[in-house]
Amino acid sequence: MIINGVSIDKTFAEAFPMKGTRIIITAQNLEWAMHSATAFTGFATSVIACGCEASIERTLEPSETPDGRPGVACLIFAMGGKGLAKQVETRAGQCVLTSPTSALFSGIEGEDGKEIALGKNLRFFGDGYQISKMIDGKRYWRIPVMDGEFLTQENTGVVSSVGGGNFLILAESQPQALAACEAAVKAMKQLPNIIMPFPGGVVRSGSKVGSKYKALNASTNDAFCPTLKGQTKSECSPEVESVMEIVIDGLSKEDIDKAMRVGIQAACDLGAENGIRRISAGNYGGKLGPFHFHLQEIMA
Amino acid sequence: MKALTLKLKMDLAQRVDCSRLTPDKLAGKDVADIAAMELVSGRLTLPVDQLFDISGDDVNDIRFENSSAKLDHIGHAMTHGRITIEGDAGAYLGQFMTGGNIEITGNTFIYTGCEMKGGQIKINGNAGDFVGAARSGYKNGMTGGIIIVTGNTGARTGDHMRRGMILIEGNAGDYCGSRMISGTIAVLGEVGKHLGYAMKRGTILLPKMPQHGITANFNDCGSHTLAFLPLMFASFKKLDSQFAKVESFSRVQRYAGDLGGIGMGEILVKI
Repeated sequence: MIINGVSIDKTFAEAFPMKGTRIIITAQNLEWAMHSATAFTGFATSVIACGCEASIERTLEPSETPDGRPGVACLIFAMGGKGLAKQVETRAGQCVLTSPTSALFSGIEGEDGKEIALGKNLRFFGDGYQISKMIDGKRYWRIPVMDGEFLTQENTGVVSSVGGGNFLILAESQPQALAACEAAVKAMKQLPNIIMPFPGGVVRSGSKVGSKYKALNASTNDAFCPTLKGQTKSECSPEVESVMEIVIDGLSKEDIDKAMRVGIQAACDLGAENGIRRISAGNYGGKLGPFHFHLQEIMA
Repeated sequence: MKALTLKLKMDLAQRVDCSRLTPDKLAGKDVADIAAMELVSGRLTLPVDQLFDISGDDVNDIRFENSSAKLDHIGHAMTHGRITIEGDAGAYLGQFMTGGNIEITGNTFIYTGCEMKGGQIKINGNAGDFVGAARSGYKNGMTGGIIIVTGNTGARTGDHMRRGMILIEGNAGDYCGSRMISGTIAVLGEVGKHLGYAMKRGTILLPKMPQHGITANFNDCGSHTLAFLPLMFASFKKLDSQFAKVESFSRVQRYAGDLGGIGMGEILVKI
């Protein structure tokens, strides 16, 4: 399959099941909501070492938030509900509770009503002065803090999600690969229910499963490292000088399907004339996860 | 199916315990069964059809017509369904209810919504003393649900209230929020003396300073913008009440008390 001169590999991206939730951070203005959201989703590129994968999904108009203030929706994913709960709690405690004028809400209903704590345990920061309020069947906590009151919903819903959807962009130069990634990420950011957790949505250090070192369970994806063309069983043809990956986590397989289609199309729109040669994917021979995203089927 | 209608056909000499006439307790019964059910009235037990003309058959939608202030315990412990009352109701309307809706066109006597756990009661009139309260000698009043009173309430509104909301469009009597443990009481009109007496926790929300002022057992915590208020007002929008039309506000003067006790309750007055 060739789109605008860009070859689409007959391969599939592998992804794995995760547990996810959406939280909404509001503040006096969008700038402060964004400060809090940026901190909340910081150091959350990969579960390999961060414990979770998180990013800002989108900004919210005052009419879209529970308290009628500007807000930011964040998605956060972990390998299990327990790990997710720990990450949400510690991040909310250190990055939202602490952020001036912020309030914290759940942005999703749990699968079969399953929930994890959002502000449930943060309330103890109130040292007995915290106040509970049941509004519309949901419990909120009012925690006195130095700038007034921190309002947080008690729980947030948990849903089964998919992590690690991805595609690779192979280009003739590093600037061209990055330009294609930027175009893809920009297009994908318009879609709901997904995040690209790496810096700017792009990964330059894609990994393979396993390593020659026993202590590591992932290592550099040498087949796609252009500088190793002559040393390894390379996937890079002579004209390919740079490969970058976009990793996508989503609330469902369908959401990732859609995001990959939009992202690959945006990269292909730049076409061969801008140095974009191939689109491939992180295929680990079925070792990584049960969700398979076949590139040619997605782009058909 | 038409609503099961119970039209009171006599002037009552004695109070009648109507606790058996709820959607839960009438489930599976036909009109003949219901007619033969016996209700306690004074020292007598009377069959339902001696007190009421019965029509309709939908036990999940019960109507009391020509109702009297001597019909006690209507909606007792109901979990679902709807009860509509045309006229007045007696004591303990909706006591222990956990779900469903009760609406009344007239007034209610004492202990409306006593120890209710869920559901909604709307009184299109006045309510007596001890709305949403605990029974005498008991420690927990209502623990959930909403009571809306379009008129006034008597004394001790929300006495020992633990959760839920009481929304009063008119005035509240003396000792409103007394011994309150948690929950929210909002009053659009005036409140009587001794507001929040022995209040432990919970919120009393007022759109204006009470006529008798705030008692000395409450300390002024200053003026604040509280983020939960817009959420609460937004939740009022779906109610069939004047509260749905109240313009949302979040700037309030906060008074904490009753400092004669643990002092964790609050009276919020719009500024």
